[in-house]
Amino acid sequence: MKVKCYIQGMAAISPQHTFDGDITTAPFVQTESNRLVCIEPDYKPFIPGNSLRRMTRVLRMGLTTALKCLANSGVATPGPIVTGTGKGSLQDTEKFIKEIEQYKETALNPTPFIQSTYNSVNGLIALQQNGTDYNNTFVHRGFSFENALVDSMMLLQEGASHTLTGSFEEMTEEHFYIKSRIGQWRTAPVGNTRLFEQHLPGTISGEGSAFFVLTAEQTPASKAAISGIKLLYKPSEERLSAVLQELGADADLVISGDNGDSNYARYYELLGEVLPKPAIPFKHLCGEYDTAGSFALWLAAALLDAGKIPGEWFPMVKELPGEFRKVVIYNHFFGEQHTVMVVEKVNG
Amino acid sequence: MVTAIGDNVAGNLERLRRKESGLGFTDYINTIYKEVLPVGEVKQDNAALFRMAGIPVQAGFSRTTLLGLVAMQEALQQAGISHLQDEPTGFINASTVGGMCDTEKVYFDLINPDKSGEFIQSIHTLDCADCTQRIADTVGFTEHLATISTACSSSANALMFGARMIKAGMYRRMVCGGTEALTRFTLNGFNSLKNVDRQFCRPFDQQRTGLNLGEGAAYLVLESESYAKANNSTILAELTGYCNTNEAFHPTSPSPEGDGAYAAMKNALAMSGRTLEEVQYINVHGTATLNNDISEGRALERLFGTAVPPFSSTKPFTGHTLAAAGAIEAIYAVLAIRNNIIFPNLNFSERMEELQIVPETELKEDVIINNVISNSFGFGGNNASLVISKYEG
Repeated sequence: MKVKCYIQGMAAISPQHTFDGDITTAPFVQTESNRLVCIEPDYKPFIPGNSLRRMTRVLRMGLTTALKCLANSGVATPGPIVTGTGKGSLQDTEKFIKEIEQYKETALNPTPFIQSTYNSVNGLIALQQNGTDYNNTFVHRGFSFENALVDSMMLLQEGASHTLTGSFEEMTEEHFYIKSRIGQWRTAPVGNTRLFEQHLPGTISGEGSAFFVLTAEQTPASKAAISGIKLLYKPSEERLSAVLQELGADADLVISGDNGDSNYARYYELLGEVLPKPAIPFKHLCGEYDTAGSFALWLAAALLDAGKIPGEWFPMVKELPGEFRKVVIYNHFFGEQHTVMVVEKVNG
Repeated sequence: MVTAIGDNVAGNLERLRRKESGLGFTDYINTIYKEVLPVGEVKQDNAALFRMAGIPVQAGFSRTTLLGLVAMQEALQQAGISHLQDEPTGFINASTVGGMCDTEKVYFDLINPDKSGEFIQSIHTLDCADCTQRIADTVGFTEHLATISTACSSSANALMFGARMIKAGMYRRMVCGGTEALTRFTLNGFNSLKNVDRQFCRPFDQQRTGLNLGEGAAYLVLESESYAKANNSTILAELTGYCNTNEAFHPTSPSPEGDGAYAAMKNALAMSGRTLEEVQYINVHGTATLNNDISEGRALERLFGTAVPPFSSTKPFTGHTLAAAGAIEAIYAVLAIRNNIIFPNLNFSERMEELQIVPETELKEDVIINNVISNSFGFGGNNASLVISKYEG
């Protein structure tokens, strides 16, 4: 899709200091475990206490990120709310499965069932912000957030002045174990700064929430523009190369979804071959998860807005480009869902 | 399509005409409510579904996937599509709990390091994209894929998203719909909310006490008008209007005045360019929960005043098929238009005291149906209405 839209404001909760900090001054969080966990903010300023007590973790993260994003964007109403999540509230899903078993299907508390519904975060945002506009939730692994973005860009094209577009994802200990059974994670602990030293089977898991207020028109507050997005399902190398070339040929910075996993490293090698340009990774910052693409978009916009790349966050990159105006993000989720996004500098 | 009342579209129409409900007790779910809570179950075991889908029995294919595949094969065949690659075609699927029907059977083995075996292959069925991708890979979709999960409005939103992608010029053809299998998870979920009826559900009846869950799948092939003409496609009906709106009232309950339902119907109708008088039938969401029917009924009275068109809920035939309901009922809307019939609302006997209106209880034939509103409302305040019209081009 080649329609331009603008990021008016954004917010992210991630395993890095992204919620309150400024990317140029926030310290880089080094990790030694294969499971990167979000740095959660104090939720009380955002969610009333009685609601907060009922909410599980990913609901808190998603809702708070959305609210902070709205506050950062200076829009009065959220407008259409469009989100993506691969797994929704794992904690609630796990809890309800277990309670069905434990209580033999009787006298069950419905709260985990309600909260396990994938669109529950959207419902909460709408409820708290009186957002009666369009509301949609995509749940398709590595296409979840990107479909939300496509939907949002269509809404802007159809006449919406702005959208609230985002993602939310959590990893639980239990689900980390489940996915370890099919070799998704590295078997030995690897520090995030050393993730790319050696490509080995498996990667590190991550989680996070990122929200954006997108507008059809540029404003003085616009942080960056999204000028291209393409979703490719299990593409051939030829098709992927063609799309990377088409969208990325004139980019001056590449953000790569490389996650150190040798099983699917071929695609990121191809990226380097097709677009031999200055490149930075991002999975050492947020880990691998279905909607990691939203973190990459947040990162691209934050870097374009700041006009520089903090070296501390990218200790493995020898030479960082000084100037960059057009960023191409390429990511895939375990070799199946491939996505390309183009983000450009605005306002200066 | 496949539902509790038929393995294909013709079978569904036949049972609708004969006023034969598909509600009964489950043969396949392991639950203490086996003989307590009626459901709309597709009476084909998974082995039969593999045969119907024309693929060998294999691990990793959940019942959700299989129901979807059966419906998808019929949709493509009916649309005369033998090679999906001939025209780039996107696929927008909908699901509320993915392959939970199978995951829940092996979940405790999945989290137990002492257990291993073939069940590991079903590890991915827990998420909603699993069924979409297996269906896509089996029939050959390689273009845009998405899975939508907005509770009970999911497949109505899938149809909307596909239609909008066509309008935006991204594709000329999209296949949209949803699939849902009965699970112990959802049955207990709705039961814990105390809105499952122990009798067959009674939409819009004063004595109604809740819904019955159902399962099924349905897909519709959407084409742009110009492509359909150039391709000599048989145009069954036109999607003339749609609206998705959020009620922002309560996580699971609709507002008593039906604000969301009212807005969804009103805006969808405005988009279609049809007047209130031009709507001949409304296939209501009509789950038979206490709240839905009051809220939806009030919305109908607010929108249409004293001239509410004939309406009925087909949930007493199929049960509430959650993510699949929007697409199943969109097909019923097409059937109403093409056969000039209105389907009866079974199990109705007493008007609700809150409303002046009552649903159609008999099969009405030889009525001209040019425009149908199809409603799908869900948790999280998600409301979706579609307007499906006779194609006049």
